[in-house]
Amino acid sequence: MSGSAVLDADGPRGYALLNHPLFLKATAGLVLLCLWEGVVRWLAPPYVARPSGIAQVILGVLGNAEFLSAAGATLSAVALGLFISLITGTLIGFLMGRIMLLEQGLRYYVNSLFATPMVAIMPLLTLWFGYNTDARLAAVVFAGFFSVTVNACEGARSAPLECLEVAHSFRARPWSTLFDVIFPSSLPYLIAGVRLAAGRARVAAVVAEFFISIPGLGYYILYNSRTFHHNEAFVAVIVLVAAGVGFEAFTRWLTRRYFPWHRPR
Amino acid sequence: MKAPNTPPRIRIAAAGKRYQQHQIFENVDLTVGEREVVAIIGPSGCGKTTLLRCIDGLIPLTQGEILIEGSPMLAPRAGVAMVFQHFGLFPWKTVHDNVAYGLKLSGISKAEINERVPHFVKLVGLSGFEKYYPYQISGGMQQRCGLARALATEPRVLLMDEPFGAVDAQTREILQFELLRIWEDTPTTMVFVTHSIEEAVLMGDRIVVLKGRPSSVHEVVEVDLPRPRDRATLLLPHFAELREHVWGTLMADARQAEFDVIKNN
Repeated sequence: MSGSAVLDADGPRGYALLNHPLFLKATAGLVLLCLWEGVVRWLAPPYVARPSGIAQVILGVLGNAEFLSAAGATLSAVALGLFISLITGTLIGFLMGRIMLLEQGLRYYVNSLFATPMVAIMPLLTLWFGYNTDARLAAVVFAGFFSVTVNACEGARSAPLECLEVAHSFRARPWSTLFDVIFPSSLPYLIAGVRLAAGRARVAAVVAEFFISIPGLGYYILYNSRTFHHNEAFVAVIVLVAAGVGFEAFTRWLTRRYFPWHRPR
Repeated sequence: MKAPNTPPRIRIAAAGKRYQQHQIFENVDLTVGEREVVAIIGPSGCGKTTLLRCIDGLIPLTQGEILIEGSPMLAPRAGVAMVFQHFGLFPWKTVHDNVAYGLKLSGISKAEINERVPHFVKLVGLSGFEKYYPYQISGGMQQRCGLARALATEPRVLLMDEPFGAVDAQTREILQFELLRIWEDTPTTMVFVTHSIEEAVLMGDRIVVLKGRPSSVHEVVEVDLPRPRDRATLLLPHFAELREHVWGTLMADARQAEFDVIKNN
């Protein structure tokens, strides 16, 4: 950091543009896109996705009703699954974090299930729930729930002793300690859990659609890849990435806006 | 300056505290009158903070009893408030909400809380900082906030656990005189744990010297300095005499005591 600061200060004026972070990002992006375009044109058959091809189809795909309903189906399943994971995972994680017996009893199972790859149990989920949207929702919840639970448990356990002592001294009831101390102090952990869960949930939804062949972005990608519409398939990938980036930005905004005490500058 | 003929507000009789094999203090007898300030001083590790926690009802005694206003302290109680060395502010609450915490827990209506909080915020000199979070204010201001939180519950017994131990020397002096001013306005029973001899002499009507292993009351020094006390008190010859006397009592075998602490930990 300090090294580049010195360079900034001493370098000639003409280099200011070069050092601008936005300029560097844009240039790197452009170079990567050109490389991709060049390599595909040079080596790959014409149906392989390339930037110019994607640019030609992207508006058409984004305006297509079938694509929009697929995107809606996948993203709403992810949102609903995350919501269920957040509520139930927080509840169970908090109980585990504050009740020693529960934590000791459940710890190994929760940690094992957290470590279980969701893809590995996908065939079983289809047997249990059938080849329908329920199986996709189950996959999303399975992928998200344990991330939230593990983090909520950790957060509840790491409530500052000083604050708990103050609550005790002012005769707080357990219920008010939950809302005044344990919940706010574990918010950073919960946010970390939800961010982790959001990534896993998107993977789960797409994989579930691969397996089950129900309408959604995953199935859209699979179908278009197999029918040589790689550019169209790639638009769905971009939408999935954008959803992830958007969610990240949303959590960061939420943290700054409502929890300024967390990681203050 | 003690009010005569009033029953003691705190009565400690043959009090002892043991953690497993380790006896912290034993046979502590002490009474504290209404409007009396007792400073407890002793080498580090002698259990003065543990004793104060027992008085607050945060932890139970293993021998003897502590009565406040005639009934035993088995758990924290209304009318007794503690100021902590670590401040114990909630990072996720603003100054206003931190000060309001004790009031909120005692079931007072929101309207009344909002009416009362500004008075105590002003009393400790924090007006204008109501909406700040603890991370945005200095250590001295944080302890002002901790003091206001305790005072807001209008306690009949105020317990101070090395309240200025974690702030810098200059801030410490300022806060000492502020506390004296506040106490003069609303004199109340105060037990003041400190490791600063000057602070003990400046604050206390009596100084209780805890010493030994396990510790017990080694000596009680009457501080017959006139009130109100202020900076001029520090210049009185009698202040220096008392300070030297306590110093002599405390430091007589301080080196041995320090070695003992290290050996016993």
